[in-house]
Amino acid sequence: MSRDTTDAADRRTLLKLTGGAGLVALSGCLSTTDDGGDGDDGSDGSDGSDGSDGGDGTDGDDGSDGGDTTEAFQIGMVDSQTGSLSAFGERNQRGVDLALSRVNEVGIDGRELDIAVEDSESENQGGIAAAQKLVNQDGVPFLIGAVGSGVSLAIYESVVEGTDVVQLSQNSTGLNLTEFPGLLRMSPSGRSQSLALSNIIADDGYDEVAVTYVNNDYGQSLTDAFVDAYDGDVVYNTPHDQDQQSYSGVISEMNGSGADAWLFVTYQAEFATMVNEVFSSGYEAQFYGADSVSGDNVLENTPEGSIDGMKIVVPSAPVEEENYQSFAEDFAAEYDRQPTSWAAYAYDCVINAALAIQAADEFTGAALSDTVRRVSGPEGETVTSFAAASEILADGGGPDDVDYQGVSGPIDFNEDGDPVGFLQVLEVQDHEYEGIDFVEG
Amino acid sequence: MTVIGYLANGLVFSSIIVLGSIGLSLVYSIADFANFAHGDTMTIGAYASLVTFGAVGGLGGAVLGLPYGFFVALVVGIAAAAAVAVITERVIYEPLDVDSIGLLITSIGIAFVYRALIQIRFGSDFTRFDIQPLRPIEALVPYGVRVTLHDVAIVVSAAVLVVGLHVLLQYTDLGRKMRAMADNPDLARVSGIRTRRVKLWTWVIGAGLAGAGGVFLGLFNQLSPRMGFNLLLVIFAAVILGGIGSVYGAMAGGFLIGMINQLTPFFSDVVEALPIWPGWLARLLESLISIEYANAIAFVIMVAVLLVRPNGIAGEGAT
Repeated sequence: MSRDTTDAADRRTLLKLTGGAGLVALSGCLSTTDDGGDGDDGSDGSDGSDGSDGGDGTDGDDGSDGGDTTEAFQIGMVDSQTGSLSAFGERNQRGVDLALSRVNEVGIDGRELDIAVEDSESENQGGIAAAQKLVNQDGVPFLIGAVGSGVSLAIYESVVEGTDVVQLSQNSTGLNLTEFPGLLRMSPSGRSQSLALSNIIADDGYDEVAVTYVNNDYGQSLTDAFVDAYDGDVVYNTPHDQDQQSYSGVISEMNGSGADAWLFVTYQAEFATMVNEVFSSGYEAQFYGADSVSGDNVLENTPEGSIDGMKIVVPSAPVEEENYQSFAEDFAAEYDRQPTSWAAYAYDCVINAALAIQAADEFTGAALSDTVRRVSGPEGETVTSFAAASEILADGGGPDDVDYQGVSGPIDFNEDGDPVGFLQVLEVQDHEYEGIDFVEG
Repeated sequence: MTVIGYLANGLVFSSIIVLGSIGLSLVYSIADFANFAHGDTMTIGAYASLVTFGAVGGLGGAVLGLPYGFFVALVVGIAAAAAVAVITERVIYEPLDVDSIGLLITSIGIAFVYRALIQIRFGSDFTRFDIQPLRPIEALVPYGVRVTLHDVAIVVSAAVLVVGLHVLLQYTDLGRKMRAMADNPDLARVSGIRTRRVKLWTWVIGAGLAGAGGVFLGLFNQLSPRMGFNLLLVIFAAVILGGIGSVYGAMAGGFLIGMINQLTPFFSDVVEALPIWPGWLARLLESLISIEYANAIAFVIMVAVLLVRPNGIAGEGAT
């Protein structure tokens, strides 16, 4: 290093710049991770590419069946086609495509359904821009979106709230969405996960638990709900940051807390790091986790047997119901893979929207917000497919004469816009996830 | 866990940071700009060795729980990181006629390019070396030290590299030329040193060490396209703490930052145990000195050191 007098000035400039650039870089990190809410799905390893990407795939040929020349009903969808949650976007798209083909086989009063899909880039700003285009330019009265809870809320607060557009989120599980009754969602709230976890841990006979959670809205809200619900002592409860290179401090403190049950509310990469550090430190404990810590990438990157016996609660479609099984069969025939529950949520979003449109007197937000809850609400004849529900409506039935049972669950939105969700309890056995139980949310 | 246990963890983590920070400081002293692509150079080293290790396999025997093939992969990782850095220097940094600030901004762009290329090839998900993870060394567990043979291998390898660099800088012709150039590039040039060649060697050494750091980081934790970038802020802190441009300062800074980071749980134990008065101060300290603020605590200590020694620990000494 040169030792002349300009040295100090250089240092200062450098410090400023590194600080500034660091901040810029960090702010980038924050916004990409902010959406949080939705973990990966345990039973799914298929992040493979899917040819059909959004947009205009389903446009055109209006009125080709039924001989009616009126154009298709157009609704909008904001999806994560790119960005950190793009894997969800791919899963959604398959569910949406399958649902659209089911709807358009029958038609809605002789017209087709068309979905304009826009990309949120998995971020709030992208989501708002996409929703603004759909609502303000395309004028859609019904908006499906979005994946990340933060994105869904951002769209609701800056685009949808105050208009009569109906918003139905396909994948958001964040707890605070419950506070916005106008924002419907198809996936169950994380609160039911927290309740289920607290019950499971108590049932397993642990009266002390150590919790670590990822330091964002998702981790915090899920953990707070858990602490409220859990009867025993939470002897350790500390957040950790994402993307750290070592969590050995966290796990040694968890070990030091003396609790035999450890609960992890974090993401796969962070959890895999922790498991490896637990293994190489030789600690032993009974693990529990929220849905976001499960995934094939966790199994692949942790030592064989290191998480055996761990229990995880994941949002799940009622996979034992006949309704779901026929959906899974169709899905497998179409895409040569098993559906994820996230695809099932997206599928139900489209079917629910189509039924709301058919039951409504006119294609406006006001009319749809009246029917969207009623077609899948508990009143009326129970049906499990669009074709059956559509028949009742075509025969002069009103929205209350139909109770569509979704492939992801009975739906039945409550007054907060949350569905009755199903949760599956997974246990790790021989380093594989095995479903051991179902819980109704 | 005991103090020795935390210190042992700190030593392992420090080794990786030291490898990263030396290269950053070296490049700063000779090429005269802060290279923001340094973290992603580490990532390149890690992924190059991942591919190599996948191709060559274990090659029979093992040292310190690591198959021979891993060491081959380590060498390839170092070479790949050095090669990429040299090519970048030749193709981009050298032809660019801008000042050090311009180069700094350029390097941020380069960092994005590196990361994008890795992401295109390997996807954004994380992965690990296909090496059986080890349990802690039994003999040390009674002392509260929970390290694996792999951790020992990381520390030993880092020590070998650091000592090698020391010998190179102090006792070889190239080392003398590098020190001369760091002190005064114009004078070095006038006195017949081929500065361009020395600069290239600096890149080779700096990026090579970063590559090694990346490989060890992958072994210690996991590989992901953001691994190096996520560590970069800590590495910068280490370099600035040590006195930017000074190799020995970077070693000291990296060591301190890594230690403080891993010792945070111990600090919070100490704060809880100490009879601090008044009570509100004790509560405040207890909530602030907590594992979630490990990096922040390391940075606060960095600022404190800089207030006392504005040029960093080794700020007055040259390379």
